[in-house]
Amino acid sequence: MTQPAHLTRRFFLQTSAAAGMATAAAGVPAFAATSVNFQLSWLHSVQFGGSYIAASKGYWSDLGLDVSLSQGGPNAPVEPPVVSGTALVGISAADYTAAAVAQGAPFKIIAVAMQKNPFAIASLAGNPVNTPADLIGKRIGMAVANTPVLQALCTLNDIDINDIDIVPTQYDPAPLVSGQVDCLLCWETDLPVAMTVQGVDNTTMLMADHGYALHSQTYIATEDALANRRADLVALLKGEVMGWNDYLADTDAAAALAVEMFPDAGLDLEAQKLQAARQVPLMFSDLTAENGFGWFTDETVASNIETLALLGQDVSADLWDRSLLEEVHG
Amino acid sequence: MAALRALGWGLFFLAIWELLARVSAQDVLLSGPSDIAVHISGNVGLLARATLETSINAMWGFVWGNLGAVLLGAVIMLVPRSERTLLALALLVFCVPLIASGPILRVLFGTGTGPQVTLGALAVYYTTLLTFLIGLRSVSQNWTDLMRIYGRGALSTLIRVRARASLPYLFVGLQISAPAAFLGAMIGEFTGAERGLGVLTLRAMRGLDTDATWTLALVAALIAMAAYTVLGWLGQRVVGYRPVVLLSAPASSGPRTPWAALAEIGFIVFLVLILWQASMDVFELNRFFAKRPGDVWTFVMEPQNRSTLLSALGETLAFAAPGYVAGLALGAGLAVLLVLSPRLSTAAMPVAVALRAVPIITTAPLLVLAFGRGLVGTMVVVAVMIFFPTFVACQQGLRQTPGQIVDVFRSYGAGRWHVLRAAQVPAMLPAFFASARMAVPAALLAVTTVEWLATGKGIGVLMAMTASTSNYNMLWSCVVVLAIVATAVYGIVAGIERAVLRIYASEQVT
Repeated sequence: MTQPAHLTRRFFLQTSAAAGMATAAAGVPAFAATSVNFQLSWLHSVQFGGSYIAASKGYWSDLGLDVSLSQGGPNAPVEPPVVSGTALVGISAADYTAAAVAQGAPFKIIAVAMQKNPFAIASLAGNPVNTPADLIGKRIGMAVANTPVLQALCTLNDIDINDIDIVPTQYDPAPLVSGQVDCLLCWETDLPVAMTVQGVDNTTMLMADHGYALHSQTYIATEDALANRRADLVALLKGEVMGWNDYLADTDAAAALAVEMFPDAGLDLEAQKLQAARQVPLMFSDLTAENGFGWFTDETVASNIETLALLGQDVSADLWDRSLLEEVHG
Repeated sequence: MAALRALGWGLFFLAIWELLARVSAQDVLLSGPSDIAVHISGNVGLLARATLETSINAMWGFVWGNLGAVLLGAVIMLVPRSERTLLALALLVFCVPLIASGPILRVLFGTGTGPQVTLGALAVYYTTLLTFLIGLRSVSQNWTDLMRIYGRGALSTLIRVRARASLPYLFVGLQISAPAAFLGAMIGEFTGAERGLGVLTLRAMRGLDTDATWTLALVAALIAMAAYTVLGWLGQRVVGYRPVVLLSAPASSGPRTPWAALAEIGFIVFLVLILWQASMDVFELNRFFAKRPGDVWTFVMEPQNRSTLLSALGETLAFAAPGYVAGLALGAGLAVLLVLSPRLSTAAMPVAVALRAVPIITTAPLLVLAFGRGLVGTMVVVAVMIFFPTFVACQQGLRQTPGQIVDVFRSYGAGRWHVLRAAQVPAMLPAFFASARMAVPAALLAVTTVEWLATGKGIGVLMAMTASTSNYNMLWSCVVVLAIVATAVYGIVAGIERAVLRIYASEQVT
């Protein structure tokens, strides 16, 4: 009934072929690879482009890891497999992780892929939302579950949330394009990209540019993994860093790789290229240029804690653990 | 001639559709047949692979789910005392929403196709079980008496008499479950599957790729229609005769005391709690997301949690009740309409199957746009999601009207309405009530989906919040509340059913 996933098989072939070549040169036995499951937060796309590069270029297999990339989905939350140990590392976000920790999950944030939060307000060019004040009197389409996010943006910018008309919608650009709402609460890198590719003239206001400081696409692992599988975690992060550095060098190649690796995912190359480019300013900054991909500091953590407080989450700096990154970049 | 007329209607329908798509300003919501044709021709390989993947998973789900239903039905016939308990357990398992079961299935099965197949099976077993049970009971008392006189036991009666009698109903169950299995497998892909039509649908909707969305909906609908037609044809070939339903005297079941009923409920609750705890413990599911009865109890004992839960429940019920009634009325009404005007059947049937087979995330936005995000919109979406089993079961029930009785009416010159009212509708009642019972959990699941997609209120939103809050205590409390409500409403419907069937179809009352 259950058949081995095609993807995993292909990965195995690719990575083992690469490992074979690498190890033939290095003279290390090839059977030493440790199998590791890496739980992504959403469907495959160039959102995880750096990981695909790490897999296809054999960065992980060189480090003795055989990494399976499990994609997420609407009913595939990241936290359960990581808590259960079926995934060693998961992709989460600071607010999700904080909530899970409050519910008893022993998670630590071990690296941060998105320095800037990707949440944005998308609107049509003819009726744009360029500043938080523009939201007043507008109809915003969003998942009701994201109300605390909008509330935080309002608090940060002295706006009364009651002046905004919240319309519950599914996560889809159609309600905006068909005029049911004036703007959408969505990611900078998905729905706006889709609209642009489909020729809908739109504009976005990145919430991170208006005080909403929250790490996203964070790498999480359990305390148990941090204590007992450090070497695997370091190797996984090393591969990630190498993959994402390649990604920065050529985002178009990363987009092409995503399309090529997942022929059944229905990815559109143009949309992937645009998404890949739009991700760069969120993931790479002066901070990462200086310290390396995934880095965070006491200051960025402190501003995250402030934003989390606005979201009603009381968090201490212990949620973040930089020791693995220090080994990776050290 | 008939084929020509059908072709004519088909072309007319396509032309109207194309016209609507051309003139509609909302071209992000509607694609015409020509757009779909262009999309298909550009993506043949991708669509074929995805269709094959989802179809195979749906087929396995269909096989396992229906096998389970048949086994359960047989056990109930052999051990009649187990009926209430087994039906209650079947109902409760059916009540667990994907948002709670998804992570568990993924952790249990890993990256394979297990969750999709399981979801497909879960989507079908309950409706098949209920229809199959009616079939097993639609036996003349003369036959069961005869078996008893010859000293044959329940097993012999089951194999020689009941199994044969159940066939027409079993095939109805299988027919209804074909689109459901497909939809279940598609939704199952939302738990992180790598490929399939469900994955492509998600991608298309977020990518504002309207042509792809409509192509996928069309493909899903066509496959469901094909499966439905094949099973219907197979059913006619296999059954090959019109079963004669004879009305007989009520079986004398002793009156149950309220205390006995209470003890039974207590036993079922106890059993459910034990099974719940034990199954999670056996699979060593982490307490973080697989909450045990004790966790839920502690959670709902907090007054604040309880009041959140109850006020959400109130909002949900206010929307679910009218949707439930509307869905049943739509299903039964359509079945009756087709009896009165059989010609409509060629047009109505494909639409009905299509509405059932297309995932709600594709149809809901259109329905919400047309009917609004309020009570009417919710009612329509819920009705669309639940009417199909009622429609098919009622249609089959109407067909079961004993031919002799209709002949008697005809020979006295009774009109269509008269036959309908006095003979056909009473014959339809067992099937109608069975579908009214199976629609209870379906309506609750439907309304929670709409709440999450369109209204932003009620239990559906509380459950959807789990994705960001990891508040699995709240999620499992919602599951428990939904299960209790479903069981209670099920009990009420069953009570009405017994009262009505005692008059019209006493062989069904045990």
